[in-house]
Amino acid sequence: MPTEPIVLPMPGQLAGDAYRELERAVLRHRHGRTVVLDCAGLATLDSLGAAHLLRLIVEARHAGLDVRLTRLADAVRRTLAEVDPAILEEEARPRRHPLEVIGAGTLAAADAAGDVGALLRETAAGLTVPFGRGGIKWDRTIQQMALVGSAAVPIVVFISFLIGVVLALNGAQQLRQFGAAIFIANLVGISMTREMGPLITAIIVSGRTGSAITAEIGTMVISEEIDAMRTMALNPVRFLVVPKVLALMLMMPLLTVMSNIAGIVGGYLVGVVGLDLGSHAYLSQTVQALFISDVMTGLVKSVVFALLIGLVGAYRGFAVRGGPEAVGRATTSAVVTAIILCIVANAGFTAFFYYTG
Amino acid sequence: MTHADGDRLLVVEDLVAGYGDEIVLEGISLAVDPGEILVVLGATGSGKSTLLRCIVGLVAPRAGRVLIRGRDIHAAGSAEREQILRDVGLAFQEAALLNSMTAAENVALPIVEHWDVDEATALMLARLRLASVGLARAADKMPAELSGGMRKRAGIARAIALEPGLLLFDEPSAGLDPITARAIDELILGLKARGDMGIVAVTHELGSINTIADRAVMLARGKIIATGTLAEVRATPDERVQAFFERRLLAASEHGSLADTLEWQR
Repeated sequence: MPTEPIVLPMPGQLAGDAYRELERAVLRHRHGRTVVLDCAGLATLDSLGAAHLLRLIVEARHAGLDVRLTRLADAVRRTLAEVDPAILEEEARPRRHPLEVIGAGTLAAADAAGDVGALLRETAAGLTVPFGRGGIKWDRTIQQMALVGSAAVPIVVFISFLIGVVLALNGAQQLRQFGAAIFIANLVGISMTREMGPLITAIIVSGRTGSAITAEIGTMVISEEIDAMRTMALNPVRFLVVPKVLALMLMMPLLTVMSNIAGIVGGYLVGVVGLDLGSHAYLSQTVQALFISDVMTGLVKSVVFALLIGLVGAYRGFAVRGGPEAVGRATTSAVVTAIILCIVANAGFTAFFYYTG
Repeated sequence: MTHADGDRLLVVEDLVAGYGDEIVLEGISLAVDPGEILVVLGATGSGKSTLLRCIVGLVAPRAGRVLIRGRDIHAAGSAEREQILRDVGLAFQEAALLNSMTAAENVALPIVEHWDVDEATALMLARLRLASVGLARAADKMPAELSGGMRKRAGIARAIALEPGLLLFDEPSAGLDPITARAIDELILGLKARGDMGIVAVTHELGSINTIADRAVMLARGKIIATGTLAEVRATPDERVQAFFERRLLAASEHGSLADTLEWQR
């Protein structure tokens, strides 16, 4: 048998203490009950009163209560009818249990991983057809290579040079105590090629190119350009993502090599000018210290970082919904996500190479 | 599918669609043949644009089918879908031209991709299409350099680039001054006069509706509330139809969930 509705009298004015009292009276009832507000005592309703009433209805619905109004005065009915009822839906922000929040977050993360996986599959499929109709857009790829690669050279070289200098200065303090200053060449050479070079390049490219990818695709999403491409049976991944990812995968290793060289030059200057190490001695120590595998490790990493930056940038771009401000948010999150993923992947690589020799 | 459905250009059957928890379209059925213009009317938020997006495959329906020349676009694999879409052109409300390309390059894009022609030929063909919508001189301009009306024309030129059998318009004259809007309507009538194209136009502009509609379907809250020739739709006694044609605003309670709250009487 359905439970009897609870009837509560509406106060003459919906403001201040009277409103708060009514709110308490309504919300203390159990989930599933019907609460009827008897409005006979409410002669008029101003917009603030209407806002209070709507807020109360929204909150009551969250609490699982069915709120009904009865014996409305004509003036009150008119005021309520003028109010846009969409407010009711927009304000509906459920208060969720923490477990529910964690669950929803996990599901969203799984969805995102699935979407990135789908993007990866489509991109990989696009990369397997090098020429012809439906193949890689080489003109767009070359254009992207210039944007991704050559335009980034000055900043990559400058930052890497400074990192090389800083590494050498920090190392010098320690190593000089043991009369082993020459090993700065090892320190700088190995850390630049294996770790710092690829990582610095990845961070700079995330900031420059990853963000640009998200902004471009996100803007195209909100101006319906992506939809337009789909309705013309053009695959946006092949048009937009494949050239960018390919350009990144081709240019990042080159940028990494430049970063390595700039860092080593920074260390060299500190060693030769600051620590009076012989120029020839420093260089031959560097060459002795470095194995081809060190350099290759860094280059393999850089290709993986390129893929991560490209896919995350594209994914965040395609996921943009709403207006221009959503593009800004997506751009920020693309950069943050790409940098985090690159650092995590780098840690994984380092551990892997450490244990496998 | 009946035999007759296979012969029709566009058949929408019992379409149900929505986003998340919200059902936007419920039980929509309609059909279009070559040489006619079907206008889909309705107030903002009635589900018109979602209907178009379902027809071109951008939104997957929860139930029902969209058949274009007898082929179900949502059941088609990617190769078949591509074939179906080559026969469909959609002119977006804001044109949705690719901003990094000139008007001519925009129009040439589907031609280069889907027809066996080289780029120079495709660009020439694109110029012809642009000329046919009155944009011969704007072919080399970027979308940002075009006015709203010109962008819409360029979007139409791109939609007809592959000479589709089914042409769709999303709010073709919305946001334009009356003269430009009239010119777009004339353009649509000109396309219809070719006789081989079926046209669906989604709009809430009374001027356009009166000018171009052969038949009309009116949506309200995702359901068809009136259908038939324009005269028949106008004669539907439903309050919402009458309010639409008289440009009256319905009470807010007609649209939203406040109504059931207000209506309860002990």
